[in-house]
Amino acid sequence: MPIRCILHWQPNQGTMVNSQILNEISQCVESLNGVKEGRCKASLTFYRPNLRDPSTAIDFPRDFLGISMLEQPNKYYFIIRGHKLVVEADYSILTIMEKLQSYKSKVALHFEGALYKLGDFQVRVIKVVPNQAESLRGIMIEIEYLPISSVEKSKPIMEDFIDLWKEVVSKKSLAGQFIHTEPNYAEYGLSDNYTSQHTAVQYAAALAQLIQSSQLRN
Amino acid sequence: MECVVQGIIETQHVEALEILLQGLCGVQRERLRIHEICLKSGPHLGSVTSEVRLLCDLEQAEPSWTVRHVGGAMRGAGAEQISVLVRSMVESKTSKNVLRLFYTLGYKLDHELLRVGFSFNFYRVAQITVTVSSINKMLKLHATDEAVPVTPGIQMVEVTAPAAAETYTEVAAAVSSFCEYLAPLLHLSKPGISTGVVPTAAAAAASLMSDGGGTTL
Repeated sequence: MPIRCILHWQPNQGTMVNSQILNEISQCVESLNGVKEGRCKASLTFYRPNLRDPSTAIDFPRDFLGISMLEQPNKYYFIIRGHKLVVEADYSILTIMEKLQSYKSKVALHFEGALYKLGDFQVRVIKVVPNQAESLRGIMIEIEYLPISSVEKSKPIMEDFIDLWKEVVSKKSLAGQFIHTEPNYAEYGLSDNYTSQHTAVQYAAALAQLIQSSQLRN
Repeated sequence: MECVVQGIIETQHVEALEILLQGLCGVQRERLRIHEICLKSGPHLGSVTSEVRLLCDLEQAEPSWTVRHVGGAMRGAGAEQISVLVRSMVESKTSKNVLRLFYTLGYKLDHELLRVGFSFNFYRVAQITVTVSSINKMLKLHATDEAVPVTPGIQMVEVTAPAAAETYTEVAAAVSSFCEYLAPLLHLSKPGISTGVVPTAAAAAASLMSDGGGTTL
């Protein structure tokens, strides 16, 4: 599948994300002649161990992530970042997890947004919202380059596009900037050929960045 | 959920069973080589111990992995009256690192085995699968190449069919009626109820081997 690159919005110290910034970012995509072509959605769920005795010292993760994506409705992804582990499974794995009752799902966050087409690129402007709430927790941008699926080969093209993108956004003088931190896919055992597992790893990394930056603000 | 019955047959009669199944099912057999890893949750995880099976299909050029959860059997007077077991069963195909996932999540290896044999998949009221396999144990961890039979000279036969709450009575009836055709060679019953080998097996096998499985439904 085509290569994708995710950038997350880091607000300046002392500021918060808001829908005004989201609108301005959407306008940036439109100013690059981006044509709105659809919507995108992913849901991220934290799983926590169901411990018989919560005070017990455990040798397994305190939590891990489960990710579902609208574009892959029959698949589900598990990510344990501390162990650099990503697993792809049929969606029925959720039923199995429920039956096992060893882990409980806790908080869900949604990555919702609009998909824009810009020639060979597709850009998704994504807002991060909690379950059953409208409050905006974060903003991300997902850049997809349709002709290439090799992570390595796409690097120069992606870097050029990211530079252009950052320049366009900087003209808006918004209180923050987009940060791109590409995960080391090889650590997760993923190859150079881009897959949905790569996207799941990027979502988990972006979420960690969002949590970290919101903790810094608090 | 699924409907399931099991039985055993002496290895010497497996060829006759294969001829019979070939005639009954009208499809080619598929080779079966599955590494089954049974995991149980560690002592502190979950309010009760949970069990999950990871199946690695070694027949594929690139081994494929499936997670299977087998739940409790259906109970009550209705379940008693039917001759097949109806139980909850959920499967999910996964990427190849699923064993690492479950180990990381605090699951421990309970036992592992290797099933080697063949299967027939066909549709008769329901999608029925018949597997005939020898159960092998590994002398060293995951050493599937050095597996030895658990019960030499005996193979296991399993007939399964996926079902739903609305369809299980028809599916169970379809499985039961199919099993009747196999009756001269082996007896199939609910898992856990061992009925042993049938005394007519040798004569039935000899007859099948002589007429080449010409008998059809």
